[in-house]
Amino acid sequence: MRPYLAVIADSFSAALSSRILWVAFVAIWLLLACLAPIGYREDFTTQFRGQDFHNGTRMKAMLAQGLVDPKAKDEPIGRIAAALPDDLRRQLQRVGEGDEVRIRLSVLADALNELIDNPSWYDEQAWSPTLRLRELRDLEAAPEINLTKSLKRRRERLRIEAALPGVFETRSSRSIYLTYAGMDFPANLAVDKTQFQTLINQWVLPTIINWLLGFVLIFLGILVTASIVPDMLQPGSLHLLLSKPVSRSLLLLSKFIGGCAFVLLCVTQLVLGLYLVAGFRLDIWNVRLLWCIPVSVFLFSVFYSVSTFAGLRWRSPILAIGVTSIFGAICLVTGVIGGLFDGLVSRPEQLQHLAIAGDDLFASTRGGGLVRYDATSNRWKEIFESDAMGQDRIVPPLVINQGSIATARVRDGRFNPFGSGALDLLVLNETDNWTPEPSLRLPTATSWLYRAGDDHLLALNTGDLSIASQDDVLAAAGKRDSPESNAAKDSTTTVENTWLSKLTTMMGGTTEGFTSVLPERMAVTPPRGIAVDPNGDFLITFSRGRLTRLDRADRLGQRWRETAARLLDGEASRRGVLAIEGNVVLLARAEEPIVLIDAASLEPIADEIDISQSMVPIAVVGMGDGASFAFLGGDGRCRIIGPSKTDVGSDSSNYKIGDPFGPSDVEAIQLDPKNKKLYLAHHIDQVVALATNDLTVTEQIRPRLSSWRWVDRMVISPLRMVIPQTGELGETIAATVSGKSAISINSNAEEEELVRYKIVRPIVSCAAFILVMLTLSCVYFATRDF
Amino acid sequence: MSEVELASALNDTNSLMNVSRSSSAGRGDPIVDVRDLRKTYSSWSVRGRKNIEALGGVSLQAHAGDVFGLLGPNGAGKTTLIKILLGVVKPSGGSASLFGQPVGSTAARSRVGYLPESLRVDRHHTARSALKFYGRLSRMSSADIARRSDEILELVGLRGRDQESVRRFSKGMYQRLGLAQSLMHDPDLLVLDEPTDGLDPVGRNEVRKVIERLRDLGKTIFLNSHILQEVELVCSRVAIMANGQLLAIGPIDELASTEEGSNVLIDVATDNSATDPLANIPLAKIESCLSNADRSKYSITARPGTNANYRVVLIGCDQTAVDEVVDRLRAANISIVRLENKRPTLEDTFMRLVDQKQDDSSLTPQDS
Repeated sequence: MRPYLAVIADSFSAALSSRILWVAFVAIWLLLACLAPIGYREDFTTQFRGQDFHNGTRMKAMLAQGLVDPKAKDEPIGRIAAALPDDLRRQLQRVGEGDEVRIRLSVLADALNELIDNPSWYDEQAWSPTLRLRELRDLEAAPEINLTKSLKRRRERLRIEAALPGVFETRSSRSIYLTYAGMDFPANLAVDKTQFQTLINQWVLPTIINWLLGFVLIFLGILVTASIVPDMLQPGSLHLLLSKPVSRSLLLLSKFIGGCAFVLLCVTQLVLGLYLVAGFRLDIWNVRLLWCIPVSVFLFSVFYSVSTFAGLRWRSPILAIGVTSIFGAICLVTGVIGGLFDGLVSRPEQLQHLAIAGDDLFASTRGGGLVRYDATSNRWKEIFESDAMGQDRIVPPLVINQGSIATARVRDGRFNPFGSGALDLLVLNETDNWTPEPSLRLPTATSWLYRAGDDHLLALNTGDLSIASQDDVLAAAGKRDSPESNAAKDSTTTVENTWLSKLTTMMGGTTEGFTSVLPERMAVTPPRGIAVDPNGDFLITFSRGRLTRLDRADRLGQRWRETAARLLDGEASRRGVLAIEGNVVLLARAEEPIVLIDAASLEPIADEIDISQSMVPIAVVGMGDGASFAFLGGDGRCRIIGPSKTDVGSDSSNYKIGDPFGPSDVEAIQLDPKNKKLYLAHHIDQVVALATNDLTVTEQIRPRLSSWRWVDRMVISPLRMVIPQTGELGETIAATVSGKSAISINSNAEEEELVRYKIVRPIVSCAAFILVMLTLSCVYFATRDF
Repeated sequence: MSEVELASALNDTNSLMNVSRSSSAGRGDPIVDVRDLRKTYSSWSVRGRKNIEALGGVSLQAHAGDVFGLLGPNGAGKTTLIKILLGVVKPSGGSASLFGQPVGSTAARSRVGYLPESLRVDRHHTARSALKFYGRLSRMSSADIARRSDEILELVGLRGRDQESVRRFSKGMYQRLGLAQSLMHDPDLLVLDEPTDGLDPVGRNEVRKVIERLRDLGKTIFLNSHILQEVELVCSRVAIMANGQLLAIGPIDELASTEEGSNVLIDVATDNSATDPLANIPLAKIESCLSNADRSKYSITARPGTNANYRVVLIGCDQTAVDEVVDRLRAANISIVRLENKRPTLEDTFMRLVDQKQDDSSLTPQDS
């Protein structure tokens, strides 16, 4: 190996003597010097910002009610509304009088911020019935003298949040303030330290590395190294090298490896520098960052393998650069086309939620569509069309009975939970050939439907949970006019409505047929989850780190009773999923271990289950056996969580998480309790049904592809395998740096979409490509006369 | 049989091979053994495939201790022959071996030192770092490299300048560095391709001295050069090539003094050196003395204004023929004023062979 090591070492020396390398070094040092003064400080989250509002309409309505409703005058909303600036009060007054007034969220935020600085509006008596977070109670319990100014402001903010339930997004109690050379940046980040670290590791560092290493250094590296092979082929150099007792192929490979020295030297400095800056300045010592060094060199080697072959073939650095640039353009175009197919073809058809009504299988799609599987044609029949650019949102379908399902289509609701126009519950009956029929009016901004036993269903909107009788729902189906005419009717009847009912509607309150079940002043705001007892006797809500058990009221129309509540440890802003099975509740929150809780007392009944970060909770369902759950993680695999066999029957059973089962790339899970089948939606639009007792496959659905999907699978996908997806290596870097295999994206603040990083495919396709190019180069070099 | 081996372009290859082999008999196995070596380069263009014959059946041997010169005009096939010997180019036919190993094999290449025509050393090197690099390529250990570097730098006269960047090197220093790298691993065969090309007279002299020292050390050297004087000065054996063919091969002294191309000049006069010598010796009398000789093998020219009447030039005659002509002239009472055996130089031989080859080549289309 000595001769080849000598060639590699010589390439390092040559790289070090390159002026361009030193220019690159200086540029890297300057960049690091610019980044070095960045720092941060932590402080309490006090200021409101526009994006802190989860439901601005509700807030507007509540404040308006506080102004115009005499009964609310001495309530928190009345006191807050009265303390608002005059201009805003006048606008809210008009809202209360039924006018359509647009108020910018930033104006509301500024007004609330003024209240924080002048808390004259606060009255202990008025606030005593509000639902207050543990943090607020602690602050109020603390002696005034012990509170810093920042803590006092925090307390006022929490009081405002308590007065306006269901209005605000959950924000961490402490915020990160970025500083530069000791000075605060103008904007703060409403994230806690852990989220800040996640932000840096998952977004900032991968982005910097992607751009600097993925584009700038690669291009610079090709410019510098393109001459290595043509230079070697100069007669005075090549003949001498070939006269030595060395293998031509290994000589070429050594030159190739040596050529990567340039990028290795630059990347090492940059990544090490970023690692140290992040460590010393931001307290983020992320050793995984160093993995970017080999990944970046690997990325460069893809392009350099093309440059090497072109240099061998044409012996010209200019041509080598030109050919490599063309290759890069091809990679880019292929990546863009692939991305377009992902976004416009595959994603809209991806099954998001399943509903099984007897022998019929329904699913809502990511493209805002509703589909039913037609076994005869082996296709998904569209009830509502999936559209990549569509603005509508489909409320996940819910099985009412074996012959009926319920759903709703929120017009323009994809990015706005409220959508536009009235929202009717849609009922699809088998007898009507599954044609959607409008039924009861749903509360505004309804996003989820739940079964409450065999006779009722629940609707969850931005903060409230309402109930309706299934009989009413079915009876109303088909007897209402279309949503469009309803909207028209609404506009004509607006004048007739009282201001109070309109405000109530704006706040997402009850409608005809639906009555609220949540206790007074309780709101279920994100991050949240609801699990309903299969018999409909009780439900468990999880909202902002608080678990609550509500027991069913004796009769419809009454609010349900809170019979147990528990504040969870850890950050309240962590999203989670929960399910009930028997008398056990499983709660899985992001970056927290899975907890199993007694459904009655809400106290833990088993040891927590630690899961890896790649298994971000996506969904969980009870398996119908009274003990175990099916858990879907961010890695796209399903696992069973159940009591250890040895502990079955004992009081203090220990639960464990099993090995993955079923297909990979699972997007949705649903239990069919009647047939005891677990349905898994996977690989865009495929579904597999497993028997719940032994998890054997009982049914597989692989629908026929649509024409564009066929093009995607037969043309685009092979093309993406053949042409290395260098752009996707950025995802490998992001996954490496963050240590996560997926990232959650807030599509509409209501439902998070988990996007899995493509880690293996780009590595495999790039490695295969390098192998092919180097083999071609070696064969060419070994067999040609020079 | 004379040691001189001469092969004209018109001789067939087999006879040349036989001559070569017989001359090598008794000198041990050849270090360089080339037999009927052929190389045809193919190229493609829009007009179709084109074949160029660079070597058309070359055979030669070089033995241990030889300083073997390879002469020929541009395009003669010298560089192709060297490339094949180094394993850089693969032959189209025939065989070639170094030290009994096939050319191109690792074993063969590890015993060869090569100085390319225009050496190119990366600019980041110093003389010492370059020697270290090439030593490692020749699979030398670090200790051997360190030891050899001092010796070789001393030998080529670069001691004291070994830490300088090669960017500052003159052409002569560069060439000496090239020579040094070729010697690093103490090769048994040195292949030097135009070692003095582009050098000034001082530089040439320096390089020549190094080669002479190596020759004195008993190294086998394969020298490819355009410069005939240089070859004459340092080579013990020479091969002359043209148009991919081997024209001649042999020890340099004998190659330069072959019968073919050697002339005997005889200036003749009357016995008494009369005042009008031309009147006393009729041309017919001289011609009668040469009556046994082939008319094409002699010429007679008058030499007025000198002490001789005529100059008789015997072309390519052997000693017996010369003796006979002299005896007959003397018997005819013709005085021989001056007799000179005029042998051709290497350049004469080279030019004659190359010209002859080119003439033959130009006739070949009509012949065929």
